[in-house]
Amino acid sequence: MNEELLTDAVLREFLLGRLDDEERARIESLFLTDSEAREKVLVIEQELIEDYLEDNLPAEDKQEFLLRYGQTAAQWQQLRITEAIKNWALKENAAVRTVPTEVSTWDRLRTRLWLRPAFVIPIAVAAMVAIIVAGIWLNSGMKRATLEQELAQLNTPASLREVPAQTVLLELSPIVVRSAQPQAELKKSADTRLVELHLPWVQKERYATYRAEVHRVGGGELLSIPNLKAETDGRYQIRARLPAYILTRGQYLVKLSGIDLGGAAGITEEYTFTVDD
Amino acid sequence: MARDSAIPPESFEEILAWLNPDRDVAATMYVQLRHDLAKMFMWGRCADPEGLTDEVFDRVARKVHEVRPTYEGDPRLYFRAVANNLIKENHKKIKTQLSLEDIDLPELPIIATEDEMAAEVEECLQLCLQKLGTDKRALILSYYAKEKQDKIDHRYELAQKFGITVETLRVRVFRIRESLAECIRRCIKQKRK
Repeated sequence: MNEELLTDAVLREFLLGRLDDEERARIESLFLTDSEAREKVLVIEQELIEDYLEDNLPAEDKQEFLLRYGQTAAQWQQLRITEAIKNWALKENAAVRTVPTEVSTWDRLRTRLWLRPAFVIPIAVAAMVAIIVAGIWLNSGMKRATLEQELAQLNTPASLREVPAQTVLLELSPIVVRSAQPQAELKKSADTRLVELHLPWVQKERYATYRAEVHRVGGGELLSIPNLKAETDGRYQIRARLPAYILTRGQYLVKLSGIDLGGAAGITEEYTFTVDD
Repeated sequence: MARDSAIPPESFEEILAWLNPDRDVAATMYVQLRHDLAKMFMWGRCADPEGLTDEVFDRVARKVHEVRPTYEGDPRLYFRAVANNLIKENHKKIKTQLSLEDIDLPELPIIATEDEMAAEVEECLQLCLQKLGTDKRALILSYYAKEKQDKIDHRYELAQKFGITVETLRVRVFRIRESLAECIRRCIKQKRK
Protein backbone atom coordinates (compact mmCIF):
# COMPACT_ATOMS: atom_id res chain seq x y z
CA MET A 1 0.00 0.00 0.00
CA ASN A 2 1.26 3.47 -0.78
CA GLU A 3 1.16 4.95 2.74
CA GLU A 4 2.27 8.36 1.56
CA LEU A 5 -0.70 8.64 -0.72
CA LEU A 6 -3.26 7.44 1.76
CA THR A 7 -3.03 9.86 4.65
CA ASP A 8 -6.17 10.58 6.65
CA ALA A 9 -6.35 14.09 5.22
CA VAL A 10 -6.03 12.91 1.60
CA LEU A 11 -8.68 10.26 2.13
CA ARG A 12 -11.08 12.79 3.62
CA GLU A 13 -10.59 14.99 0.57
CA PHE A 14 -11.15 11.94 -1.63
CA LEU A 15 -14.37 11.00 0.15
CA LEU A 16 -15.68 14.55 -0.13
CA GLY A 17 -14.90 14.61 -3.86
CA ARG A 18 -12.17 17.21 -3.74
CA LEU A 19 -9.29 15.41 -5.49
CA ASP A 20 -8.41 15.74 -9.16
CA ASP A 21 -9.17 12.90 -11.55
CA GLU A 22 -5.67 11.45 -11.45
CA GLU A 23 -5.51 11.28 -7.65
CA ARG A 24 -9.04 9.93 -7.47
CA ALA A 25 -8.22 7.20 -10.00
CA ARG A 26 -5.16 6.13 -8.01
CA ILE A 27 -7.08 5.87 -4.77
CA GLU A 28 -10.02 4.08 -6.38
CA SER A 29 -7.64 1.56 -7.96
CA LEU A 30 -5.97 0.91 -4.61
CA PHE A 31 -9.38 0.68 -2.95
CA LEU A 32 -10.45 -2.05 -5.36
CA THR A 33 -7.25 -4.07 -5.44
CA ASP A 34 -5.42 -3.60 -2.13
CA SER A 35 -7.24 -4.94 0.92
CA GLU A 36 -5.20 -2.83 3.34
CA ALA A 37 -5.90 0.35 1.40
CA ARG A 38 -9.56 -0.60 1.12
CA GLU A 39 -9.88 -0.98 4.84
CA LYS A 40 -8.16 2.33 5.44
CA VAL A 41 -10.55 4.14 3.12
CA LEU A 42 -13.52 2.56 4.89
CA VAL A 43 -12.11 3.44 8.33
CA ILE A 44 -11.77 7.10 7.33
CA GLU A 45 -15.24 7.01 5.81
CA GLN A 46 -16.61 5.75 9.11
CA GLU A 47 -14.84 8.56 10.98
CA LEU A 48 -16.33 11.06 8.58
CA ILE A 49 -19.77 9.64 9.35
CA GLU A 50 -19.07 9.92 13.09
CA ASP A 51 -17.99 13.54 12.68
CA TYR A 52 -21.19 14.28 10.82
CA LEU A 53 -23.28 12.66 13.55
CA GLU A 54 -21.42 14.66 16.19
CA ASP A 55 -21.98 17.85 14.18
CA ASN A 56 -18.23 18.21 13.87
CA LEU A 57 -18.02 18.94 10.14
CA PRO A 58 -17.52 22.43 8.75
CA ALA A 59 -20.49 23.66 6.68
CA GLU A 60 -18.89 22.94 3.27
CA ASP A 61 -17.85 19.44 4.32
CA LYS A 62 -21.32 18.78 5.66
CA GLN A 63 -22.82 19.84 2.34
CA GLU A 64 -20.50 17.53 0.41
CA PHE A 65 -21.10 14.76 2.89
CA LEU A 66 -24.88 14.89 2.53
CA LEU A 67 -24.60 14.88 -1.26
CA ARG A 68 -22.87 11.52 -0.98
CA TYR A 69 -24.22 9.91 2.17
CA GLY A 70 -27.71 11.34 2.60
CA GLN A 71 -29.39 10.73 -0.73
CA THR A 72 -30.98 7.31 -0.60
CA ALA A 73 -33.03 5.43 1.97
CA ALA A 74 -30.20 2.88 2.30
CA GLN A 75 -27.71 5.64 3.05
CA TRP A 76 -29.98 7.13 5.71
CA GLN A 77 -30.42 3.71 7.22
CA GLN A 78 -26.62 3.39 7.38
CA LEU A 79 -26.36 6.72 9.21
CA ARG A 80 -29.09 5.61 11.61
CA ILE A 81 -27.27 2.35 12.35
CA THR A 82 -23.98 4.11 13.11
CA GLU A 83 -25.84 6.62 15.27
CA ALA A 84 -27.59 3.81 17.16
CA ILE A 85 -24.28 2.00 17.86
CA LYS A 86 -22.66 5.22 19.09
CA ASN A 87 -25.63 6.18 21.25
CA TRP A 88 -25.80 2.71 22.75
CA ALA A 89 -22.11 2.88 23.68
CA LEU A 90 -22.43 6.38 25.16
CA LYS A 91 -25.47 5.36 27.16
CA GLU A 92 -23.82 2.19 28.48
CA ASN A 93 -20.67 4.10 29.38
CA ALA A 94 -22.67 6.75 31.21
CA ALA A 95 -24.53 4.06 33.16
CA VAL A 96 -21.31 2.21 34.05
CA ARG A 97 -19.63 5.44 35.14
CA THR A 98 -22.57 6.70 37.21
CA VAL A 99 -23.12 3.71 39.47
CA PRO A 100 -19.62 3.12 40.86
CA THR A 101 -18.79 6.82 40.86
CA GLU A 102 -21.63 7.61 43.24
CA VAL A 103 -20.26 5.16 45.80
CA SER A 104 -16.52 5.67 45.42
CA THR A 105 -16.63 9.45 45.21
CA TRP A 106 -18.92 9.59 48.17
CA ASP A 107 -16.66 7.37 50.26
CA ARG A 108 -13.51 9.11 49.16
CA LEU A 109 -14.89 12.52 49.98
CA ARG A 110 -16.12 11.38 53.35
CA THR A 111 -13.00 9.50 54.36
CA ARG A 112 -10.31 11.71 52.88
CA LEU A 113 -11.77 15.19 53.12
CA TRP A 114 -14.29 14.74 55.91
CA LEU A 115 -16.69 16.59 53.76
CA ARG A 116 -19.57 18.11 55.65
CA PRO A 117 -23.13 17.42 54.48
CA ALA A 118 -23.48 21.12 53.60
CA PHE A 119 -21.15 20.60 50.59
CA VAL A 120 -22.91 17.54 49.35
CA ILE A 121 -26.04 19.20 48.05
CA PRO A 122 -24.27 21.70 45.74
CA ILE A 123 -22.13 18.87 44.32
CA ALA A 124 -25.19 16.71 43.73
CA VAL A 125 -26.99 19.64 42.10
CA ALA A 126 -23.98 20.32 39.85
CA ALA A 127 -23.88 16.65 38.83
CA MET A 128 -27.60 16.69 38.06
CA VAL A 129 -27.23 19.84 35.95
CA ALA A 130 -24.34 18.22 34.03
CA ILE A 131 -26.46 15.13 33.32
CA ILE A 132 -29.42 17.24 32.19
CA VAL A 133 -27.19 19.39 29.92
CA ALA A 134 -25.66 16.25 28.40
CA GLY A 135 -29.15 14.85 27.86
CA ILE A 136 -30.32 18.03 26.15
CA TRP A 137 -27.18 18.09 23.99
CA LEU A 138 -27.65 14.50 22.87
CA ASN A 139 -31.32 15.12 22.25
CA SER A 140 -30.63 18.21 20.12
CA GLY A 141 -28.14 16.22 18.03
CA MET A 142 -30.77 13.56 17.42
CA LYS A 143 -33.35 16.19 16.52
CA ARG A 144 -31.00 17.83 14.03
CA ALA A 145 -30.26 14.50 12.35
CA THR A 146 -33.96 13.70 12.26
CA LEU A 147 -34.83 17.07 10.70
CA GLU A 148 -32.07 16.71 8.08
CA GLN A 149 -33.37 13.30 7.17
CA GLU A 150 -36.93 14.58 6.96
CA LEU A 151 -35.84 17.48 4.72
CA ALA A 152 -33.85 15.19 2.44
CA GLN A 153 -36.86 12.90 2.02
CA LEU A 154 -39.30 15.75 1.45
CA ASN A 155 -37.11 17.20 -1.29
CA THR A 156 -36.18 14.20 -3.39
CA PRO A 157 -37.33 14.65 -7.02
CA ALA A 158 -39.76 11.75 -6.53
CA SER A 159 -41.33 13.34 -3.42
CA LEU A 160 -41.62 16.71 -5.15
CA ARG A 161 -43.60 15.13 -7.97
CA GLU A 162 -46.39 14.37 -5.48
CA VAL A 163 -48.39 17.09 -3.74
CA PRO A 164 -49.46 15.80 -0.35
CA ALA A 165 -52.57 17.12 1.36
CA GLN A 166 -52.18 20.06 3.72
CA THR A 167 -49.35 21.56 1.67
CA VAL A 168 -49.26 25.34 1.44
CA LEU A 169 -47.47 26.90 -1.56
CA LEU A 170 -45.61 30.15 -1.13
CA GLU A 171 -44.41 32.09 -4.18
CA LEU A 172 -41.33 34.17 -3.40
CA SER A 173 -39.40 36.69 -5.49
CA PRO A 174 -35.68 37.38 -5.25
CA ILE A 175 -35.00 40.49 -3.20
CA VAL A 176 -33.49 42.36 -6.18
CA VAL A 177 -36.58 41.72 -8.29
CA ARG A 178 -39.21 42.21 -5.63
CA SER A 179 -38.54 45.96 -5.18
CA ALA A 180 -41.93 47.48 -4.39
CA GLN A 181 -43.88 44.23 -4.18
CA PRO A 182 -45.24 43.39 -0.73
CA GLN A 183 -43.37 40.72 1.21
CA ALA A 184 -44.77 37.22 0.86
CA GLU A 185 -46.71 36.07 3.89
CA LEU A 186 -47.39 32.55 4.98
CA LYS A 187 -50.63 31.99 6.80
CA LYS A 188 -50.60 28.60 8.47
CA SER A 189 -53.55 26.79 9.89
CA ALA A 190 -53.48 24.01 12.45
CA ASP A 191 -53.81 21.50 9.58
CA THR A 192 -50.86 22.79 7.57
CA ARG A 193 -48.32 20.01 7.37
CA LEU A 194 -45.92 21.14 4.66
CA VAL A 195 -44.81 24.45 3.20
CA GLU A 196 -43.51 24.50 -0.35
CA LEU A 197 -41.38 27.49 -1.30
CA HIS A 198 -41.25 28.45 -4.98
CA LEU A 199 -37.95 30.18 -5.62
CA PRO A 200 -37.58 31.60 -9.14
CA TRP A 201 -33.96 31.76 -10.33
CA VAL A 202 -33.43 34.86 -12.45
CA GLN A 203 -29.67 34.59 -12.93
CA LYS A 204 -28.26 33.51 -16.29
CA GLU A 205 -25.95 30.94 -14.73
CA ARG A 206 -27.42 27.49 -14.31
CA TYR A 207 -26.15 24.93 -11.79
CA ALA A 208 -26.27 21.18 -11.31
CA THR A 209 -27.94 21.58 -7.92
CA TYR A 210 -28.98 24.29 -5.51
CA ARG A 211 -28.81 24.65 -1.75
CA ALA A 212 -31.43 26.57 0.21
CA GLU A 213 -30.58 27.92 3.65
CA VAL A 214 -33.48 29.16 5.72
CA HIS A 215 -32.62 31.74 8.37
CA ARG A 216 -34.88 33.19 10.96
CA VAL A 217 -34.28 36.95 10.93
CA GLY A 218 -32.58 37.80 14.19
CA GLY A 219 -31.69 34.14 14.75
CA GLY A 220 -29.14 31.90 13.05
CA GLU A 221 -29.47 29.37 10.26
CA LEU A 222 -32.55 27.33 10.90
CA LEU A 223 -31.97 24.63 8.34
CA SER A 224 -30.21 23.85 5.09
CA ILE A 225 -31.59 21.82 2.19
CA PRO A 226 -28.91 20.57 -0.20
CA ASN A 227 -29.18 18.97 -3.62
CA LEU A 228 -32.29 20.75 -4.89
CA LYS A 229 -32.82 20.53 -8.64
CA ALA A 230 -34.18 23.30 -10.83
CA GLU A 231 -37.41 22.90 -12.78
CA THR A 232 -37.79 24.33 -16.24
CA ASP A 233 -41.51 23.99 -16.87
CA GLY A 234 -42.64 27.51 -17.69
CA ARG A 235 -40.03 29.29 -15.67
CA TYR A 236 -36.71 28.29 -14.15
CA GLN A 237 -37.37 27.81 -10.48
CA ILE A 238 -36.41 25.70 -7.51
CA ARG A 239 -38.93 24.19 -5.14
CA ALA A 240 -38.09 23.49 -1.51
CA ARG A 241 -40.38 21.81 1.01
CA LEU A 242 -40.25 22.28 4.75
CA PRO A 243 -42.29 20.77 7.55
CA ALA A 244 -44.69 23.51 8.73
CA TYR A 245 -44.02 22.91 12.40
CA ILE A 246 -40.56 24.47 12.24
CA LEU A 247 -41.89 27.79 10.96
CA THR A 248 -43.25 29.88 13.80
CA ARG A 249 -44.45 33.49 13.68
CA GLY A 250 -41.67 35.81 12.48
CA GLN A 251 -39.63 36.89 9.49
CA TYR A 252 -37.46 34.52 7.47
CA LEU A 253 -34.66 34.88 4.94
CA VAL A 254 -33.93 32.19 2.34
CA LYS A 255 -30.49 32.08 0.72
CA LEU A 256 -30.46 29.99 -2.43
CA SER A 257 -27.01 29.12 -3.81
CA GLY A 258 -26.11 27.41 -7.05
CA ILE A 259 -23.76 24.44 -6.63
CA ASP A 260 -21.68 23.31 -9.60
CA LEU A 261 -20.77 19.71 -10.45
CA GLY A 262 -17.52 20.05 -8.53
CA GLY A 263 -19.53 20.94 -5.42
CA ALA A 264 -18.45 24.60 -5.33
CA ALA A 265 -21.03 27.23 -4.41
CA GLY A 266 -21.75 29.90 -7.03
CA ILE A 267 -24.24 32.76 -7.13
CA THR A 268 -26.65 33.24 -4.22
CA GLU A 269 -30.15 34.73 -4.45
CA GLU A 270 -32.06 35.90 -1.38
CA TYR A 271 -35.77 35.81 -0.64
CA THR A 272 -37.78 36.83 2.40
CA PHE A 273 -41.17 35.96 3.82
CA THR A 274 -43.08 36.28 7.05
CA VAL A 275 -45.07 33.70 8.95
CA ASP A 276 -48.27 34.63 10.68
CA ASP A 277 -49.92 31.76 12.48
CA MET B 1 -32.39 0.50 -6.99
CA ALA B 2 -30.81 -2.84 -7.57
CA ARG B 3 -32.50 -4.61 -10.44
CA ASP B 4 -32.37 -8.15 -11.65
CA SER B 5 -29.25 -8.36 -13.70
CA ALA B 6 -29.62 -10.30 -16.91
CA ILE B 7 -26.14 -11.76 -17.16
CA PRO B 8 -26.14 -15.06 -19.06
CA PRO B 9 -24.82 -17.90 -16.86
CA GLU B 10 -21.82 -18.54 -19.13
CA SER B 11 -20.75 -14.89 -18.95
CA PHE B 12 -21.19 -14.89 -15.19
CA GLU B 13 -18.99 -17.98 -14.92
CA GLU B 14 -16.39 -16.34 -17.11
CA ILE B 15 -16.39 -13.23 -14.92
CA LEU B 16 -15.86 -15.41 -11.86
CA ALA B 17 -13.04 -17.32 -13.57
CA TRP B 18 -11.46 -14.03 -14.61
CA LEU B 19 -11.54 -12.74 -11.02
CA ASN B 20 -9.92 -15.86 -9.62
CA PRO B 21 -9.40 -19.49 -10.75
CA ASP B 22 -10.68 -20.71 -7.38
CA ARG B 23 -14.46 -20.41 -7.59
CA ASP B 24 -14.96 -19.85 -3.86
CA VAL B 25 -12.37 -17.09 -3.78
CA ALA B 26 -13.88 -15.62 -6.96
CA ALA B 27 -17.36 -15.61 -5.41
CA THR B 28 -16.07 -13.68 -2.39
CA MET B 29 -14.26 -11.26 -4.67
CA TYR B 30 -17.42 -10.81 -6.72
CA VAL B 31 -19.49 -9.87 -3.66
CA GLN B 32 -16.84 -7.45 -2.45
CA LEU B 33 -16.41 -5.93 -5.90
CA ARG B 34 -20.15 -5.24 -6.08
CA HIS B 35 -20.02 -3.52 -2.70
CA ASP B 36 -16.94 -1.49 -3.67
CA LEU B 37 -18.31 -0.39 -7.03
CA ALA B 38 -21.52 0.77 -5.32
CA LYS B 39 -19.32 2.82 -2.98
CA MET B 40 -17.57 4.36 -5.97
CA PHE B 41 -20.92 5.42 -7.43
CA MET B 42 -21.95 6.87 -4.11
CA TRP B 43 -18.71 8.87 -3.87
CA GLY B 44 -19.35 9.95 -7.47
CA ARG B 45 -22.73 11.38 -6.34
CA CYS B 46 -24.76 9.03 -8.51
CA ALA B 47 -28.37 8.64 -7.45
CA ASP B 48 -28.64 4.89 -7.90
CA PRO B 49 -25.40 3.14 -6.84
CA GLU B 50 -26.88 -0.37 -6.82
CA GLY B 51 -28.51 -0.05 -10.23
CA LEU B 52 -25.33 1.35 -11.76
CA THR B 53 -23.33 -1.51 -10.26
CA ASP B 54 -25.66 -3.93 -12.04
CA GLU B 55 -25.05 -1.98 -15.22
CA VAL B 56 -21.27 -2.37 -14.83
CA PHE B 57 -21.61 -6.13 -14.57
CA ASP B 58 -23.99 -6.21 -17.53
CA ARG B 59 -21.51 -4.27 -19.65
CA VAL B 60 -18.56 -6.40 -18.59
CA ALA B 61 -20.59 -9.55 -19.23
CA ARG B 62 -21.16 -8.45 -22.83
CA LYS B 63 -17.43 -7.92 -23.40
CA VAL B 64 -15.76 -10.48 -21.16
CA HIS B 65 -15.25 -13.07 -23.94
CA GLU B 66 -13.21 -10.70 -26.04
CA VAL B 67 -11.49 -8.67 -23.31
CA ARG B 68 -10.34 -11.43 -20.98
CA PRO B 69 -7.86 -13.23 -23.31
CA THR B 70 -5.83 -10.08 -23.98
CA TYR B 71 -6.32 -8.04 -20.82
CA GLU B 72 -3.26 -7.69 -18.63
CA GLY B 73 -3.40 -6.82 -14.96
CA ASP B 74 -5.98 -7.00 -12.21
CA PRO B 75 -9.44 -7.47 -13.78
CA ARG B 76 -11.00 -5.32 -11.06
CA LEU B 77 -9.31 -2.34 -12.69
CA TYR B 78 -11.24 -3.05 -15.85
CA PHE B 79 -14.46 -2.94 -13.81
CA ARG B 80 -13.31 0.37 -12.35
CA ALA B 81 -12.81 1.80 -15.83
CA VAL B 82 -16.32 0.75 -16.85
CA ALA B 83 -17.73 2.24 -13.64
CA ASN B 84 -15.82 5.44 -14.23
CA ASN B 85 -17.33 5.76 -17.71
CA LEU B 86 -20.76 5.28 -16.22
CA ILE B 87 -20.16 8.02 -13.65
CA LYS B 88 -19.16 10.39 -16.44
CA GLU B 89 -22.22 9.43 -18.48
CA ASN B 90 -24.37 10.01 -15.42
CA HIS B 91 -22.96 13.49 -14.81
CA LYS B 92 -23.24 14.38 -18.49
CA LYS B 93 -26.86 13.31 -18.47
CA ILE B 94 -27.65 15.55 -15.50
CA LYS B 95 -25.70 18.46 -16.99
CA THR B 96 -27.28 18.33 -20.44
CA GLN B 97 -30.81 17.26 -19.62
CA LEU B 98 -32.38 19.77 -17.35
CA SER B 99 -35.80 18.19 -17.54
CA LEU B 100 -36.31 15.96 -14.54
CA GLU B 101 -38.62 13.72 -16.52
CA ASP B 102 -35.71 12.58 -18.67
CA ILE B 103 -33.44 11.63 -15.82
CA ASP B 104 -33.42 8.01 -14.85
CA LEU B 105 -34.23 8.44 -11.21
CA PRO B 106 -34.32 5.44 -8.93
CA GLU B 107 -37.64 4.29 -7.61
CA LEU B 108 -37.70 5.32 -4.00
CA PRO B 109 -38.63 2.47 -1.74
CA ILE B 110 -41.43 2.95 0.74
CA ILE B 111 -39.48 3.77 3.81
CA ALA B 112 -40.49 3.44 7.38
CA THR B 113 -41.36 6.57 9.33
CA GLU B 114 -38.65 8.07 11.48
CA ASP B 115 -39.98 6.49 14.67
CA GLU B 116 -40.48 3.11 13.03
CA MET B 117 -36.98 3.15 11.59
CA ALA B 118 -35.44 4.15 14.92
CA ALA B 119 -37.36 1.42 16.74
CA GLU B 120 -36.41 -1.15 14.10
CA VAL B 121 -32.70 -0.27 14.29
CA GLU B 122 -32.76 -0.23 18.09
CA GLU B 123 -34.46 -3.63 18.30
CA CYS B 124 -32.04 -5.18 15.82
CA LEU B 125 -29.06 -3.59 17.55
CA GLN B 126 -30.04 -5.25 20.81
CA LEU B 127 -30.44 -8.62 19.08
CA CYS B 128 -27.09 -8.32 17.32
CA LEU B 129 -25.28 -7.18 20.46
CA GLN B 130 -26.30 -10.44 22.09
CA LYS B 131 -24.45 -12.30 19.37
CA LEU B 132 -21.32 -10.21 19.79
CA GLY B 133 -18.52 -11.68 21.92
CA THR B 134 -17.80 -10.07 25.29
CA ASP B 135 -14.35 -8.81 24.25
CA LYS B 136 -15.64 -7.25 21.07
CA ARG B 137 -18.54 -5.66 22.87
CA ALA B 138 -16.19 -4.23 25.50
CA LEU B 139 -13.87 -2.84 22.84
CA ILE B 140 -16.70 -1.06 21.02
CA LEU B 141 -17.92 0.33 24.33
CA SER B 142 -14.50 1.69 25.27
CA TYR B 143 -13.82 3.06 21.81
CA TYR B 144 -17.02 5.11 21.75
CA ALA B 145 -16.83 6.30 25.35
CA LYS B 146 -15.98 9.85 24.28
CA GLU B 147 -16.99 12.22 21.52
CA LYS B 148 -15.66 15.27 19.73
CA GLN B 149 -12.13 16.38 20.78
CA ASP B 150 -11.98 14.15 23.85
CA LYS B 151 -12.19 11.02 21.75
CA ILE B 152 -8.78 11.62 20.12
CA ASP B 153 -6.92 11.51 23.45
CA HIS B 154 -9.16 8.77 24.71
CA ARG B 155 -8.48 6.50 21.71
CA TYR B 156 -4.75 7.17 21.95
CA GLU B 157 -4.81 6.10 25.61
CA LEU B 158 -6.88 3.06 24.72
CA ALA B 159 -4.38 1.99 22.05
CA GLN B 160 -1.52 2.41 24.53
CA LYS B 161 -3.42 0.30 27.04
CA PHE B 162 -3.66 -2.52 24.48
CA GLY B 163 -0.06 -2.01 23.35
CA ILE B 164 -1.08 -1.30 19.74
CA THR B 165 -1.06 1.73 17.47
CA VAL B 166 -4.13 3.91 17.03
CA GLU B 167 -4.19 2.75 13.39
CA THR B 168 -4.48 -0.88 14.44
CA LEU B 169 -7.09 -0.01 17.05
CA ARG B 170 -9.35 1.76 14.63
CA VAL B 171 -9.09 -1.04 12.06
CA ARG B 172 -10.00 -3.54 14.77
CA VAL B 173 -12.99 -1.49 15.83
CA PHE B 174 -13.97 -0.94 12.21
CA ARG B 175 -14.14 -4.70 11.61
CA ILE B 176 -16.28 -5.31 14.68
CA ARG B 177 -18.59 -2.41 13.87
CA GLU B 178 -18.93 -3.56 10.24
CA SER B 179 -20.01 -7.03 11.33
CA LEU B 180 -22.44 -5.47 13.82
CA ALA B 181 -23.87 -3.14 11.16
CA GLU B 182 -24.19 -6.04 8.70
CA CYS B 183 -26.07 -8.05 11.33
CA ILE B 184 -28.43 -5.09 11.91
CA ARG B 185 -29.05 -4.65 8.16
CA ARG B 186 -29.86 -8.37 7.77
CA CYS B 187 -32.14 -8.25 10.82
CA ILE B 188 -34.05 -5.22 9.43
CA LYS B 189 -34.40 -6.91 6.05
CA GLN B 190 -35.71 -10.04 7.74
CA LYS B 191 -38.25 -8.06 9.75
CA ARG B 192 -39.58 -6.30 6.65
CA LYS B 193 -40.21 -9.54 4.78
